[in-house]
Amino acid sequence: MPTFVWTDKCDGCKGGEVAACMYICPHDLMKLDVARMKAYNQEPEQCWECQCCVKACPRQAIEVRPGADFVPMGGAVIPLRTDNAILWTIKFRDGEVKRFKFPVRTTPVGSIDPYGNKPAAGNLKDQLLFTEAGKSLPTI
Amino acid sequence: MAEEYTFKNPEIVEISTDILIIGGGMAACGAAFEAPRWAPPGTKIILVDKAAVDRSGAVAQGLSAINTYIGKDNTPEDYVRMVHADLMGITRDDLVYDVGRHVDDSVYLFEEWGLPIWKDKGSEGVALKDGGKPVRSGRWQIMINGESYKTIVAEAAKKALGIRNIFEHVFIVKLLLDKNEPNRLAGAIGVSVRDYKVYVFKCNAALLVAGGAVNVFRPRSLGEGMGRTWYPVWNAGSTYAMAVEAGAEMTMMENRFVPARFKDGYGPVGAWFLLFKSKATNGFGEDYVKKNANLLAEFAPYDKAATVPTCLRNHAMLKEMKEGRGPILMDTPSAMKALAEKMTPKEVKHLEAEAWEDFLDMCIGQAAFWAGMNIRPEETPSELMPTEPYLLGSHSGCCGIWVSGPEDLNSPAEWKWGYNRMTTVKGLFSAGDGVGASGHKFSSGSHTEGRIAAKNMVRFVGDNKSFKPEFKQDLKAIIEEIYRPVRNYHEHKDKTTAEDVNPFYILPKMFQMRLQKAMDEYVAGVSTFYQTNGILLKQGLHLLNMLKEDSVNMRAKDLHELLRAWENYHRLRTAEVHLRHIMFREETRYPGFFYRADFPKLDEANWHCFVNSRMDPDTGEWTLMKKPWVGLVEHTTMKKAAE
Ligand SMILES: Cc1cc2nc3c(=O)[nH]c(=O)nc-3n(C[C@H](O)[C@H](O)[C@H](O)COP(=O)(O)OP(=O)(O)OC[C@H]3O[C@@H](n4cnc5c(N)ncnc54)[C@H](O)[C@@H]3O)c2cc1C
Ligand code: SF4
Ligand code: SF4
Repeated sequence: MPTFVWTDKCDGCKGGEVAACMYICPHDLMKLDVARMKAYNQEPEQCWECQCCVKACPRQAIEVRPGADFVPMGGAVIPLRTDNAILWTIKFRDGEVKRFKFPVRTTPVGSIDPYGNKPAAGNLKDQLLFTEAGKSLPTI
Repeated sequence: MAEEYTFKNPEIVEISTDILIIGGGMAACGAAFEAPRWAPPGTKIILVDKAAVDRSGAVAQGLSAINTYIGKDNTPEDYVRMVHADLMGITRDDLVYDVGRHVDDSVYLFEEWGLPIWKDKGSEGVALKDGGKPVRSGRWQIMINGESYKTIVAEAAKKALGIRNIFEHVFIVKLLLDKNEPNRLAGAIGVSVRDYKVYVFKCNAALLVAGGAVNVFRPRSLGEGMGRTWYPVWNAGSTYAMAVEAGAEMTMMENRFVPARFKDGYGPVGAWFLLFKSKATNGFGEDYVKKNANLLAEFAPYDKAATVPTCLRNHAMLKEMKEGRGPILMDTPSAMKALAEKMTPKEVKHLEAEAWEDFLDMCIGQAAFWAGMNIRPEETPSELMPTEPYLLGSHSGCCGIWVSGPEDLNSPAEWKWGYNRMTTVKGLFSAGDGVGASGHKFSSGSHTEGRIAAKNMVRFVGDNKSFKPEFKQDLKAIIEEIYRPVRNYHEHKDKTTAEDVNPFYILPKMFQMRLQKAMDEYVAGVSTFYQTNGILLKQGLHLLNMLKEDSVNMRAKDLHELLRAWENYHRLRTAEVHLRHIMFREETRYPGFFYRADFPKLDEANWHCFVNSRMDPDTGEWTLMKKPWVGLVEHTTMKKAAE
């Protein structure tokens, strides 16, 4: 079930250092054709349909078309993600459309302070993780 | 100057570090968060991921539940009992207990960092750590809006470690051993998937957390759907392959996971069973688990576990399928109807959204499948199907590396020979899918285990300050070996008119298909209904050995294909250790996952033990051995067995 890229929407991420889709695909599938400045999926049958590239594309140029080897034609699932929510559009083969919106994050992106209000490291030789300082761990 | 380096002549980049984290998934991110806090100033910690940490590993597309949360209603002992029973009685209680007593702390962190966790009515807005009550979809699972789960966990990891210490798009190919100290890790070597560079890392300790193994077996869909596997298609068994080649002792590598999922899309069924109380039946509407109670009794006492073990439920399902009573159906309409009778239309609408979210958060392909098929769960039941086999140690499976456990538990001395989560190779640690005999860690437990390992690695490095890594292997020869697929391509590509068919090399893709075909037909894949026997296994090993010989003839026409070549080599090594373990264990311990047709029964008297193995890195010789199982908590299943 591979991704495809709309020719007229993709701008090759304007020829920057990295194309967003190419950077993010966990399976190294999205590739930029530098001559055309258009991205494509270089190994469609290896696509997990995780839509990581779809969500990352700044121009909504990528979609996933369900696998032609077992899904009848016409259905589609399209995400639109912001920093705190995701909106899904599900198109059925028979034309019905469903929309769902779900939260994705309760804090602003980039706001995590990993050690901010956390205790300092305790005793390296005991079994406690550093955030468990002062806790008494059960044993068997 | 970067221009000097070409595909044929890569730059060699050498980097020294105290700690090396191999992988960027849940376990790696846990380690990246924990390690810097314990490490003395000046300690160098580097993380290498073959992809981008924000969206790499099994949680790339998100999850809809955290499957391991102990909470107030359970104890770590209960958790140990559940894991033991589901995995047919052979797990390490010390490792499982250790995850159980720490895991909630990681879940609190996820919530603090911004992961939305569903709360029961009355405790909305109250954090878990302050007593907020989660919505449980099962005894151990809690529901989340988890689309951004990985990006959140990655943000904390990246900040803790510092961006300059993270190498993305670098695939680790091999671990390197020390020249002076036998059985001692000294580093790792990998290739960049983006530019012409080979990275050589020297380290004091390394955490090998490169996930499980997918596409070792021929998948059910062979066209475009090949990549729509249940577990992440990109995890290629690197963890197991590299551990084996470094001489680490492996455990329970015969175990595998064959999840029963929605057919073709492989969407999750957990919420449908647990949250919506949906029932699965054979094609004639019969409850196949109940109907086949007698069949399952042959696998006593495990059939009487509080929850029938996953493999036994598959066993009952397979019986129906083999005898022609398919398809297996999830009766979603009745479940939705039953719930609607107790709910207002608004609540029903909400419920419908939850059902879709379960897919959209972690298996979008399943939603696309329903849309393309015009399937509406309130109207049409959906088919279930057991998938092709996967190898993993963190989900409902327990293959992996044999590690030292926590020193403060009542475990035998042989289970705590070294630092917590250290393998039998000095300086090499693991966690998550990498650690064997301790499944059901899931996302939260893998993160936790990465943290446990990280603290112990810092301790290890402190105790081994004087160690100066020197490679035992000849670095030049290894680099040559890693780039051999590139040489093969350039040397031979012009000899035929179409470069993909050439008698001098094999495409990584065809190499993978050869492996998958052999594993499917000889090592209990889907085409034999997961059956094998000693004779088939012997032939399977013969085929794998020839494939190993041919691995030196793989070609790589670009960096992408070089990545595929080494991924598939890792799959091959993983396949081999899986096969050898299945061959050694002469019983059927996991019916529904696979059958030794020549030993169709569970044999508690002879095989209620771990199977461990080791390949000698110098000679390539294998040793397989039994290791006694010991229970550290009281197991109801075991008590029944003794009665
Ligand atoms: C479909 C699905 C549903 C799941 N459902 C749930 C659920 O509901 N709840 C839950 O809690 N858990 C769930 N899990 C399980 C959870 O995702 C895993 O248990 C967890 O991610 C394992 O962590 P890990 O760190 O061992 O591996 P991963 O998170 O998979 O990380 C592996 C990492 O290694 C990297 N890597 C691989 N090879 C190499 C190499 N050679 N060199 C460098 N880097 C490499 C990868 O890029 C990745 O970063 C689910 C998983 C899947 C796939
Ligand atoms: S991210 Fe979008 S715009 Fe950028 S290269 Fe990829 S498809 Fe084109
Ligand atoms: S959907 Fe996922 S696997 Fe497929 S190309 Fe996009 S990021 Fe890669």
